[in-house]
Amino acid sequence: MAEFTLPRFTGFTGFSGFNSRDRAAAIVPERSVTGRTLVLLIAIMTFLMGVTLGGVVLVQKSAIAWSSDVGREVTIQIRPVQGEVMESNLRTAVALAQATPGVAGARALTLEESEKLLEPWLGSGLDLSAIDIPRLVVVELADPAEADIAKLERDLAAVKGASLDTHAAWRQQLNVMAGTIVASGLLVLALIVIATVLAIIFATRGTMSSNREIVDVLHFIGASNSFIAGEFQGRFLTIGFRGGIIGGIGALVFFFLIGFTAGAMVPQEAGQQLGILFGRFALGWDGMFGILAVVPVIAAVTAITSRLTVRRFLQTTS
Amino acid sequence: MIEFSNVGLRYGQGPEILRDLDFRIEPGSFHFLTGPSGSGKTSLLRLLLLSLRPTRGRVTLFGKDTSSLDNDQMLQMRRHIGIVFQEFRLLDHLTTLENVALPLRVLGEPESSYRANVTELLDWVGLGERLDALPAVLSGGEKQRAAIARAVIARPDILLADEPTGNVDPELSLRLLRLFAELNRTGTTIILATHELALLDSFPFPRMVLTDGQIEFHG
Repeated sequence: MAEFTLPRFTGFTGFSGFNSRDRAAAIVPERSVTGRTLVLLIAIMTFLMGVTLGGVVLVQKSAIAWSSDVGREVTIQIRPVQGEVMESNLRTAVALAQATPGVAGARALTLEESEKLLEPWLGSGLDLSAIDIPRLVVVELADPAEADIAKLERDLAAVKGASLDTHAAWRQQLNVMAGTIVASGLLVLALIVIATVLAIIFATRGTMSSNREIVDVLHFIGASNSFIAGEFQGRFLTIGFRGGIIGGIGALVFFFLIGFTAGAMVPQEAGQQLGILFGRFALGWDGMFGILAVVPVIAAVTAITSRLTVRRFLQTTS
Repeated sequence: MIEFSNVGLRYGQGPEILRDLDFRIEPGSFHFLTGPSGSGKTSLLRLLLLSLRPTRGRVTLFGKDTSSLDNDQMLQMRRHIGIVFQEFRLLDHLTTLENVALPLRVLGEPESSYRANVTELLDWVGLGERLDALPAVLSGGEKQRAAIARAVIARPDILLADEPTGNVDPELSLRLLRLFAELNRTGTTIILATHELALLDSFPFPRMVLTDGQIEFHG
């Protein structure tokens, strides 16, 4: 410091860069942001969002599959009527069904099959030959949308004791139930997002207060609010991604384990029946993609929320 | 360059800290700002740095009435003003080079474009061997030289210094003052707040003396 001739900033220094950092350090130090706690919090929130989203996808898929299966069949029920010959009515009903546009096939259940359907209610080993029981004709539809159900219903009026069950009430109830679960899931997702945003706002405010010195120095040297907000946003974006990835992977592992455990615990035959009734615990590619899509969304929510909070903080303090 | 017209300042409902300030400072001048502790030196510097607005009167900088500036315009103007604090205010996690380069980073300049200039300036203030040192391992004098380098790296038109020699020994104080004098010779307007009489007597620059919130010019 013996010489006092202001440099002309020629650019020549002879500086080799040894021992210096490869890149300039971040203006907002990593450790000064409430990092670990926030990463954990975002990981938990992402996990909850992933599990909720996955649950919604599973329910929706099962409802669609079940509704579709049920919708591909209608049933003709023929009640015993005095003076009518059941077998003859069954053949007529089958013929009418087969003649209906959009019907792929129709088959009358045998007496044994009909009796077997009553077993859950009446018990097995009973002799039902003395009782006249209603008989069923199962009608498979080629295309539920194209099938002329109204015509079949009109034609069946000619068969005494015949009625048509399109399972519409079941399907409606199933759709209402599935819709309620999906809507509840979406509400839970919205609440999780709101809770996450609130937690990030509190964390950002805390971070701003503990980094007040950095903010002041940046202001004194002419940094704009958007520059300062950008520096903090970068930190929070990293935190959002870290937490999001941890939570997202956790949710995927959760569904994998649930699917694996359910497959291992329930016998294969029963598992298939349960799968038909309640759907399988398999998310599919779309479900997995949905859970993974939560990660950038939560990171973006974290970054945007922190940026807005920082800007608001700076506007009130500068 | 700097003009105060009937300026007064008070904090909240308290008494006026600064009263009836009327003065003009020409570009390229060097002024000492002195007065007893609590006389309002730091408040006056904060008015000049635009981190405070006067409660009355008008402050004009670079020909513009500062009361009419919006936030962005104020930040733009602040980039023409350098500030050196008594307590240095270096960022602890940044190296000397990174601290000094901060105003250029804020301006959006890439590191490759300013690294050479920052290194050259640090050589000039005698910190050429301390580029990668963190503030925690710098002595008081080194920290103050780094703070001065940070204040001048973006070539401000005005340099404000608030007790820049308050934490260094008398010999280093004189050397730092010579540094400010050299900066002034290159055209930078300097206002240096100090209450060290020995320093005031060592340099022939005019003095702004604050007493009870009012200012008098000497020399």
